[in-house]
Amino acid sequence: MNTLLTIAKREFRAYFDSPLAYVVICLSFFGLGLMFFMYQGGYWQIDRATLQPLFEFIPAGLAMLVVPVVTMRLMAEERRSGTLEMLITLPVKDSDVIMGKYLGALGLVLTVIGASLAYPILMFKFPWTLGPMDMGPVISGYVGLLLYSAAAVAVGLLISSLADSQAVSFFITFFVLGAFWFSGSMADQMDGTLANVLHYVSFQSRMTGFMRGLIDTRDVVFFLSITILALVVSFRSLERRKWA
Amino acid sequence: MTADVMIQASDLTKRFGSVRALDKISFEVEKGEVVGFLGPNGAGKSTTMRILTCFLAPTSGTAKVRGIDVFDDPLEVRRNLGYLPQRAPLYTDMVVRDYLKFVADVRGLDAAAFRKSLESIIEVCGLAQVLDKDISALSHGFRQRVGLGQALLHNPQILVLDEPTADLDPNEKAEVIRYIKEIGKDRTVLLSTHNLSEVEEACARAIIVSKGKVVADGPLEEIRAKTGSVRYLVTVDEKTGLSGKSAPRISELREALEGIRGALRSRELPTDESVHKIEVSGEKDSDLRAEIFQLMVAQGWLMLELRRDAQSLDAVFRDLTRGDEAMDRGLAWNDESDDGDDEAADRDDQDDEDEGDDAEESEEKKDA
Repeated sequence: MNTLLTIAKREFRAYFDSPLAYVVICLSFFGLGLMFFMYQGGYWQIDRATLQPLFEFIPAGLAMLVVPVVTMRLMAEERRSGTLEMLITLPVKDSDVIMGKYLGALGLVLTVIGASLAYPILMFKFPWTLGPMDMGPVISGYVGLLLYSAAAVAVGLLISSLADSQAVSFFITFFVLGAFWFSGSMADQMDGTLANVLHYVSFQSRMTGFMRGLIDTRDVVFFLSITILALVVSFRSLERRKWA
Repeated sequence: MTADVMIQASDLTKRFGSVRALDKISFEVEKGEVVGFLGPNGAGKSTTMRILTCFLAPTSGTAKVRGIDVFDDPLEVRRNLGYLPQRAPLYTDMVVRDYLKFVADVRGLDAAAFRKSLESIIEVCGLAQVLDKDISALSHGFRQRVGLGQALLHNPQILVLDEPTADLDPNEKAEVIRYIKEIGKDRTVLLSTHNLSEVEEACARAIIVSKGKVVADGPLEEIRAKTGSVRYLVTVDEKTGLSGKSAPRISELREALEGIRGALRSRELPTDESVHKIEVSGEKDSDLRAEIFQLMVAQGWLMLELRRDAQSLDAVFRDLTRGDEAMDRGLAWNDESDDGDDEAADRDDQDDEDEGDDAEESEEKKDA
């Protein structure tokens, strides 16, 4: 099997060998359910057949908890425990290590997102039919989530490869992703160039289009650029060990 | 270069910031040799091995494995090598069998080849009883064996083992050494350690490094003869003297012994009896036993033991690496059983991690 996929597979399985994956999946669903149905009256208050809140809560939850938890150990822990040396001295390319770890972590995040498909299916297809559902925004919403998590996991991986410990990695990722998410709301309170910049880089404002059923090339390119940039820098930081 | 040179390092230099970890190290290891790579902690053993396994890049100089330069084709170099890093870092959340399967997959072994080599590894490394256990539940000795097994999976011709016996208890050490001897029968092995008895047991040749330089390289006999001094062990009662005379103080005793013609220096050895135990180094081919005896009689000191030894490898090692920072810390190198050994290993690990992580950090550390 391909080296990259072997590493990705191991990384993905490692989450399930520890309690981490189960804790993350269970708690994020508990939290999501609570927010979706209970927060300020929740879904019932909106009184429309829409899943829009889902696409507001999931990315925020991903940014605040799931992605930092999932990515914190990727490189920081490997370096600390020395297993990185064991891995890298196998005949693997540095890029395979980065991409393998990235795909493994992204796999777990996508598992969480994939499981949330239960919401539209259970509520509007079977067994309940709570109203006529416009599937367009749901599909584009999930496309947005996919792109968003690709970018968020890449940022998490980058921070993990720069940080010294899991805890540091967790908090920095938490902070950075949180800042990227809420900078949109912050921009709304301000005006001038800074507001424009904040609005431009905000993950939240990038996601609004997807939520409404609009797949804008600019947003797609934005998320893909962040992903690629973060992966390239992670790769460089791994290579840097040789020359440090 | 002949075709039989498996590992070749020439003028390897590695700097971490302003610290020179390796200073033009050159050596060759030929096919079928089991070579001990010796040196105090921080002398550059791990750094050299990390360069050979393409984990680090040298600042200057070249390293070749089977004639392949580490710069030209790192993947091919790694394919030819089996490497066990210090302290055998394994994925502790995995089961032994899964871990070995993972390594086999990364190395591109197919299922049949994996089954076959797994069988031989279980036998050579004694892994049968732990194959289905979590690595986190294994003792350090077994982890080391799994690490060894991992390095052997693809049946490499060259093995690089970084302190395979550090942190092990004496029984485990003996076991691991036995495995290495077994493995070394038909392979080339470069083995780093600061435990000299292991080298004497497992290797025919040793390379001693100190402060990033090779200070000795050759068959053990040659190295032993190199410093050419002879060692005397003198034990004197520290309470009572001969026929009513008073017992000597340690300084008095050492001064008197060093005053003998042909004696080079002396050193106090630790002991838990109420005696002074002194090691005296004498000139090559000298025999000072008669002089020492006469000294004792003349002074009225009660000598309990006197032994003349050809220079042990321990002493050679101390001589060659004298002045190294690690020696200044006053660590005992010869006493296998004492705690200093483990502490030293820990300290080494820390040093090495810093080297790998951040140049500035290690710089600070060394400065401090």
